[in-house]
Formats: sequence, structure tokens, C-alpha cells
Amino acid sequence: MKAPAWTGRSLGAAWQHRFFYGLIRHLGRRPAYWMADLVSLYYVLAKPSVRAKCRPYLSHRFGHARPVDAWRLSRELARVLVDRAAVGILGPGALETAFSGRETLNGILAEGKGLILVTAHVGAWQLGMANLKIVEAPVTVVMHRNPGDVDRQYFEHGEGPAPFRVLDPDTFLGGSLEMLQILQRGEVLCVMGDRVLGDTSPTVEADFLGAPVELPYGPFKLASLTGAPIVVAFPYKPGMNRYELRVADVIRVPPGLGRRSGNFRPYVQVFAASLEAFTRDFPYHFFNFFDMWAPTPERRDRAGA
Amino acid sequence: METTEALKRLIKTELNLEDLELEAFEDDMPLFVEGVGLDSLDAVELVILVQKHFGVEIKDMQESRAAFASVRALAEYIDRNRAA
Repeated sequence: MKAPAWTGRSLGAAWQHRFFYGLIRHLGRRPAYWMADLVSLYYVLAKPSVRAKCRPYLSHRFGHARPVDAWRLSRELARVLVDRAAVGILGPGALETAFSGRETLNGILAEGKGLILVTAHVGAWQLGMANLKIVEAPVTVVMHRNPGDVDRQYFEHGEGPAPFRVLDPDTFLGGSLEMLQILQRGEVLCVMGDRVLGDTSPTVEADFLGAPVELPYGPFKLASLTGAPIVVAFPYKPGMNRYELRVADVIRVPPGLGRRSGNFRPYVQVFAASLEAFTRDFPYHFFNFFDMWAPTPERRDRAGA
Repeated sequence: METTEALKRLIKTELNLEDLELEAFEDDMPLFVEGVGLDSLDAVELVILVQKHFGVEIKDMQESRAAFASVRALAEYIDRNRAA
């Protein structure tokens, strides 16, 4: 069987992650940052594969992919992982989190059709999702866990309950029936809009950072079928000790759009434009290391048609 | 039998399966991937359609797996739950 070209597996060995957890527990977050800076510098200098993973995004965002940019991107990711672990190990007080869209979300939830929160691999999105505990409905996050993952979600460090339910898309029919039930119960469903999950997730072409990419339109079709509004929101880190979740857009997808993927393109493009605006504001906070711009079978088929 | 045929027509028309000929739509044909070729989002639409047209909710994931095996299995599920 051919190995996949990219996986979302954790970087680093289990002992390295445990070392960081110990550092955070005994010395706090700042020394862990310093170590994370050094480790990310090592990875960027010594591992061409790490620079290669950074290249697709950086070259589209900046027009070039210098090693220093790869380091800044990797360093931010490393610091986010430290933050994520710190909240789990030291408690929620380790970082200040804020969410300005509470009224927006609760107003939408009051419509009784549920809510699809579409986000992306930016900031510490899990911490951002934890902000949703202030929303008046249960939250489910569609999240794939690789068998080789060694880094823990922040809530897995402690004994307490997870702030959100996790739905694995590798279940029957991609978990789509569970997603429907969640929305029919008027709850919040969080999905990543910048990555295709599984092999069968349908995609549509959208412009992102000056070139076409394939983005999943499943959440948008789900919204069309159920009437659930889509909220585009991105977690970001405006300061050393603070995370915020920003509502970028509210998208209402009309019913009856049928099976043609192109019918969903305008709505997916709104998401892509919001994400592009986010990367303009926070260029080193986009942690999707998948080459979104690589030619895909779908685009080759369309070009040949 | 009646439910099976009604379901076939519903799937063809409501899911816009223009290329699907009703004569070629066999009762035991798998609904997903090979067979009829529905995808996971079609499943969502199908659940909504079954609810709307037959008044039957598909909630149990284990049962839905069996019900979505074919149009015959889905029709049997509908008949069983409509009668209940």
C-alpha cells in the first residue's frame, strides 16, 4: 500500500512530549517556550522535511519560503503546543481566553437549527473551542486522531471532563448521520474548513492566497440541508498570555442547492476569503502543513473535461 | 414492495440522480459508493427525506448501518418503524 504523502501525525517522539510536559509542570510556561524555540530551530535547520512542509503555505503567503519564515511558523506552532499543554497541566488559569461572539452564537442557536462552526488549523484551535463552553448548547468537534499521535489534547492531561465531544470522521458514512443529529438537537458542530477529512469528503475549488485549492463543501451542504447557519471563527493569540476566538463571518446557505459542487463554491469562497484575511493579520499562525495547492485528481479531471 | 418503489423514485428525483434508470435500480443494490453511488452527504439528505415523506426517524447508528445497505433494507426499516 502506498504511504500517504502527508499525515497529521505528531512531530517528535513520545519522550520529547513528556519532557515538555515535565518542564511546564515544574518550571512553568516561559522556560518551555525557550526550549520550544530551540527545538523548532533545530527541526528547521536539521530536517529538510520540516522546511518542505512549511514551504507551500509560506510561498503562497509571502511569495517566498525563507528558512527564517519556516522557523517563525514552526516556533509559533511549538509555542501553541506549549500553551495547549500548559492549560491542561496548570489549569485554565494558565492563559486568559476570551470570546467576543457569545451573543452572535447564542442568537443563532436560539433559531433552533443548530450551528456549524467552521474554523481552520490556526492558533490553538482546541483552546478556542474551549471558549465555546460559554455557549448555551453542547459542542461537538469533528476531529481525526492518528494512531501515532503522541501529543495530548489539553483536556487529556487532567481528570476533568472534556469541554467538547469529539466525533471521529472515520466512522460510518464519515459521521454524517451523527452530525445531522447534533444539528437537529440544536447543538454546535465544529469542523475544519481547510482540510479534507478521509478519502471521500467532497471538495470544490476556491481561491486561497492567489491560487486555487480544494476545500471541503460538506459543512456547507449540511448547512443547506438542515438550515443550520455557518459561523466562521478563528482562534488567535493577540498577546503572550491571551487567546481569543474571533467570529469572521456568518454564512447562510440556502436550501435546494442539489448535488452540483459548483453550487456551493460561493459559500466556500467566503470561508476561504475569511481565512486569507486571517493569514494577513496573523501570518505565522496558520498551521496547515498540507500542500493545499498541489494538483489534485479532482482538478486534473476538471481541467481534462 | 410499495415502499421500495416509492423510495427508488424519491432517491432518483430528490437526490437528482439523472443518470440512474429506475429499471436498473435493483432492490439489493448497495446505496453507497459502488452500486447507486450515494455519498455521506446524500445519506444526510436521505435521512431527512425519509423523515419528511414517511414520518420515520433514523436515529440509531447501528440500525442505520443495516438500513442503508440497500433500498430494500431501507424500505423494510421504514415499514417496520412506521408500523410501530
